[in-house]
Amino acid sequence: MTETHANQEGVAVSPGKGHSIAPLIVFAAWLVPGMGHLLLRRWGRALAFFFVVGGLALTGFLTRGQVFPPNSDDPFGTLGFLADACSGVFFALAHIIEKAGPDVSRAAGDYGTRFVAAAGIVNSLAMLDAYGISVGRRN
Amino acid sequence: MAADGLQLSHFASLVAFALFVSIALGCLTQRKTRGRVKYAAWSFALFIGVALAIAWLMYPFSR
Repeated sequence: MTETHANQEGVAVSPGKGHSIAPLIVFAAWLVPGMGHLLLRRWGRALAFFFVVGGLALTGFLTRGQVFPPNSDDPFGTLGFLADACSGVFFALAHIIEKAGPDVSRAAGDYGTRFVAAAGIVNSLAMLDAYGISVGRRN
Repeated sequence: MAADGLQLSHFASLVAFALFVSIALGCLTQRKTRGRVKYAAWSFALFIGVALAIAWLMYPFSR
């Protein structure tokens, strides 16, 4: 007999099964925003997170926001890199889309830097949400 | 689009940011579709409203 318990929202879940696929779900959610939810058959949230993370990242790139490199000299640059890298495939596409490089001398470019970082932060929250679903803490 | 990138005004940047982040917050915090739409709409309105209120509060000191 399969033992079940109720999660925070009172939904019955089977323990153990989700834990084995949770790392794969989190990796997929990082690599392609929304993919984690797609694998968990949460179609609406998958589409929403892809649209939101993609929209933030592309707006940031098109306004020539700064995408931080991994080998930054200062801690804020490292934090910026970590935030940017959380947007997965969009971070990898940054140099293809933003061919002219960053220009933060204008307000639009400076805002663009925030958009790119926000894309990564939103995707990291989506990764946590996908993890919660995969281990049965959320539905 | 010019070679120097997409030119968004301050307000357009605010609206775009508020729209994207509100949708994300709605999806993250609410479980039902109706709740998500309501939360996202309320969050979007607050983003815009609070930003405009702060802008008007700062206006007398802008020059």
